[in-house]
This record gives sequence, C-alpha cells and structure tokens, in this order.
Amino acid sequence: MALHCPWYENDSRCIAAHQQPASLIELCLSRGIDSHRLLRGTGLFLEDVPKADSLISPAQFLTLIDNAQRLLDADDTSFLFGQRLLPGHHGAASQALALANNLQQALELLGELRALLSPLLSPRLLLDEQHAYLYWLDSCGAGAQQRFLLEAQMTAVVAMSRRLSGEALPWQFHFRHAQPKHIEQYWVHLGEQLRFGQPCDLLRLPREHLTRAWPQTVQSTAQVACQQARQQLEQHSTRASLLDTLQRWLLRNVRQAPNLEHAAAALGMSPTTLKRKLHKHGTSYQEQHDRVRLLVALYLYQIKGYSNDEVASHLRFHDATNFRRSFKRWTGLAPSALRQLLGG
Amino acid sequence: MPSLLGLHRLKLAALLLAANAALLLHLGAGDIKPLSDWVWLDILGEGGSALLCLVWLGLLLNGRPAGRVTNLLALGLGLVFFSWWVDCLDEFIAMPDAVTWDHWLESAPMPVGLLLLTLGIYHWHLEQRAISAQMEKRERLFREHRLFDKLTPLGAADYLRRQLELGLQESVREQQPLSLVMIDLDGFDAINQRYGHAEGDRVLQAVPQLLLLNLRQQDLLCRLAGDRFVAVLPNTGETVAAQIARELAEAVRHLAHRSRQHGERIQLRASVAQVMALQESAESLLQRLNLALAKAKQPLALSA
Repeated sequence: MALHCPWYENDSRCIAAHQQPASLIELCLSRGIDSHRLLRGTGLFLEDVPKADSLISPAQFLTLIDNAQRLLDADDTSFLFGQRLLPGHHGAASQALALANNLQQALELLGELRALLSPLLSPRLLLDEQHAYLYWLDSCGAGAQQRFLLEAQMTAVVAMSRRLSGEALPWQFHFRHAQPKHIEQYWVHLGEQLRFGQPCDLLRLPREHLTRAWPQTVQSTAQVACQQARQQLEQHSTRASLLDTLQRWLLRNVRQAPNLEHAAAALGMSPTTLKRKLHKHGTSYQEQHDRVRLLVALYLYQIKGYSNDEVASHLRFHDATNFRRSFKRWTGLAPSALRQLLGG
Repeated sequence: MPSLLGLHRLKLAALLLAANAALLLHLGAGDIKPLSDWVWLDILGEGGSALLCLVWLGLLLNGRPAGRVTNLLALGLGLVFFSWWVDCLDEFIAMPDAVTWDHWLESAPMPVGLLLLTLGIYHWHLEQRAISAQMEKRERLFREHRLFDKLTPLGAADYLRRQLELGLQESVREQQPLSLVMIDLDGFDAINQRYGHAEGDRVLQAVPQLLLLNLRQQDLLCRLAGDRFVAVLPNTGETVAAQIARELAEAVRHLAHRSRQHGERIQLRASVAQVMALQESAESLLQRLNLALAKAKQPLALSA
C-alpha cells in the first residue's frame, strides 16, 4: 500500500517562527542574550519572528536551540522553554488543548496535532490496564539536541496537565540517557520519579488520572478549535515528518519484517532516495527498524505479557536466540534483565 | 552588565592627551631614527609592555564603577603606561644629548604610578572585605564566579554541592551536626502564567533577599533550581533546623510582593523540608532532602 500522506523533512520550512521558536527567542532575550548571535544560522531576522508567514525548517530550529543553549549556558534552558510550550500560543491547536475535557483528550490531541505542537519530537499515547504511557520518538534527526527536546517536551506536558487539571499529577519519567549532572533541574521541573538509562523515553501515569474531568471545558468552543486546527494541518499538508511517517508505517507493518525496499515503495520513492533522506536526518533504515522493533517488543512484554518465544515469533525472528542477540544489541541488556529493570 | 567604559571618558581622554603631548614633544625636540637603528627586541619589549598595560586599564575601567579605588588603580596604571610609552618613543626618535627632560619624562612617572597602584590594590583589598561581608550567607570560603546563579544573587547548584562537601567534612571533623533546609515556592507556575515570566523572575530575585534576612550569620543560601532554594545550616540539629524552616515559610507567607505592572499583592507560599546529615555523600543528602520536600508538598501524589 502506498502512502499518499505528505510529510516534512528537516529542511522543509514548516515551523511557524512566531510559535515555538518565538518562545525560545523571548526567553533568551529576557536573559539579555544578543539577538544577532542568537539568530545566526537560523535564517531568521528578529523583525520577522512575529510575522504569521515566517517559517523555519526543523534544522534551523535545531540551530536556534543550539545557539540558545550555548549563549545562555544554563542547565535550566530546556525546562524554562518547556514551561512556555503548552497549551502555548499556537492558535487553534492551543485553544483546543486548553479546552480539552480531560488529560486523555489533551494527549490524543497532542498526538494528532504534533506537527503544530511538537514538530521535532513525536509523542505517542499508549494505554494498558493500569497506566498511560506517552513515549517520544525523534522525528527530525535531533542528534545532540535530543536531550534538550525531551526535557522541554516532557516539562511542557507536565506543566500543561498541572495547569489544566489544577493539581500536580504523579508522573513517572523514563529517559534513555544516563542521569545528567544537573539532576536538580529534573526534580524541580519534572518530579522525583525519574529513571535514566531506560530503553525508551516515556512518561507514565496511573490511568485513573486520564479521564478525570477538567474544570475549564467548553464543549462547543473546543470542537470548533479542534476543527480549525485540523484545517490548518490540511492546508499546510504537514501532518507528520518523514521519520515519523516511516516509524508509524514500520509499527503497522512490523509483523511482515519489512526491509528498506518495502518501506521505500510504501513511501513512493526509490530505496536510494529513502536511504539518502534518512542519512540526511542522521539515521538509517536499520536504526529506525530496530527502534520500532524494540518498542513493539517492550509493548508485548510489558502490556501483553508475552514470553521471549512469542515476541520473537511476532517479530518474525527465526528463533529466540537470534532475537535475544538482537535485543541485546538494541538495549545493551538481555530481555530477562530488562524485564527486571522495568518491573523494579 | 552594561559597559562601564562610558563612566571613565575623562580619564581616557586625559591619558590620550598626555600620550600625544609626549609624542609631539619628542618629535619637536628630536629626530626620527633611520630604520637600520631600530632595535626590534626593545621595541617589542617596551611597546608590548605599554600595550598590555593599556589592556589592563581597559579591562579595569570596563569592569569597575567609578570611585576612589578605581581612580587610584586607573591613575597608577595610566602613569605606568605613560612611562612605558615614552620609553618606547625613544626607540624611534633620537634625542639630542643636551635634552634631559626626556629622562625625567620616562623615569619619574613609573615609581609614582607603582606607588599609586599599590595604594589602589591595598584599598581594593579593603573594598573586597567589605563586599565579602555583604556576601555573607551567600558565599563561604571560596569564590568561583562561574558557579554564580544567573538569575538570583546566590550560588547555583554546583556551588551548593561543593559547599556541602566541605560542610560535611567539617561537621565530621568537629563532631557537630549539619542540617539542610529546602524552600520551594508553591504555585510558582501560576504566578508565571498570571503575571508573566518577567514578574516570576522578579519573585525569584526578591525571595532570596528575604530568606537571607531570616538566616544566621554562619548559614549559606543557594538556589538549587527553578523556585527551589537550599540553606546549609552548620552546627545545627534537626529540631532547630525544623524551626528555622518553619520561620522561613512564615516569612515568605508574609512577604507582600507587589507586581511591577499594577502593584497587586502577589500572595506567596512556600513548602519547606529539612534533613540532618547522616554518614552520607552530598548527593544522597540532597536527594533525601528533595524527597522530604516532595512528601511535604504533596503527600497524596507520592502515595498514589
């Protein structure tokens, strides 16, 4: 099946400068950073930032983030930026979020409108009987900025849920990176339930918090805002990034053990083109395939309670030994060890 | 910090004038040496010294507000520069033997300049002690400006860690208890949302001043992150620490902070927690303190 849904790449100008980039610029200016040095390499001029039609590419946004981090030289930049992101000032999308009925609806909206609300990091909501999981995948080749983006987006979700629900929720945080030196920033802006060196980047919350009604709902206005945001997405025809599109295709087709040729055909391009495009995003088909297979394996272990053999056969491995070896390559841990880690 | 050079325009103009006058005097009285007579090593040595001296002067004037100590230092450095400058002119301009004032011009300013510089540094030292007294409760024993917090007038988390290591060693050595108090503003995000981030920053700058007033001379206050502060209390047991923590919370509650824009009273509240150091590292002590605060802040969320 060919996908006709268009996507954006790291050099497509698709991020409105007056939205997320403007929040970061404002933060930097409030700390006395020189605007010329801040905007170097971003293709932006300060006077263009507020204009509705100024767009920058993900790569330029990443340059802006890099500049901001270097110039501010503080541990809390990502967190302060994150606090300003959601519901934020993204027009209809923000309004729809701010008027959501409950957390579940807000998180689903965040996923649907991710091209507007979280263009560089794609969130995905998953539920089991006890917990909600919101996990994050790199959607534009963030490279060294990945940690910054995760800190910012997770702070944004936590702050939004606190603002809209009126209470601090018991979020748990899993990060792939090792515990950083500035752990106090995580304590203050996220919370105490932090785990580092995990197989994926995710937020976890007991499920009962998802459906508690939020006070400020106005059903009709919310629906209108939702529709407007959807129209905005249609107009810009940028629902998701290339990496995001590929990841979601892989998730749907993981049982067929797809290879590069299959994926390229589904995306309507030659394998060489796909390879080149992935290279441009600092990744490869193998890496993306492995990440998705790891996610699926974790899902099957955690939520479905599958055994090693069952997971191996689900993912079309020849045998469990082969699977164990691959798994170790993905996570550095054997499946059994990982299960202990997750259970603890 | 804005550049302070503007404050010192007069001093710089005077120096420029003096250097120019010396140049003109030399040109008037002597003759320019042919290129073959130039001694490059001397030119490099004397010219380089003069140039470096000028750089020191620039850095000094750019970094210091006007005042007595600044004047002394600037005058001293100015004279030293002048002396080296005249010395350097000698290398290019041959003076007739009958002229003696050039030796005076070269040699006299140097000792005077060095004397003034010495006097200036002595007073600088006194000034530094006065400033250190003002830094009381915010700084102890060592200074590292790279560890200053960028928003509040306090040390940041890494400064706290280092101080905590020292404090723990000291407490073991002297067999005295050491306690920590953590202060966290409640609903700080709501202030940012309602009054804007600039007002939030002002709250973060005001609260430490208040906390400092409520601490004892030997205590040290640092900013951990965001709206969370930690006070290190040497020679303090848990009971006294708890009392200080309560008093700090009270003080914050009674602070009538008013917003800049409309002068509205912003009601502040803080959650506090305290721990006494056991045989443990600074990191695990901080972690324990943080968990104690989480418990104080939201007993429900943690048990869920």
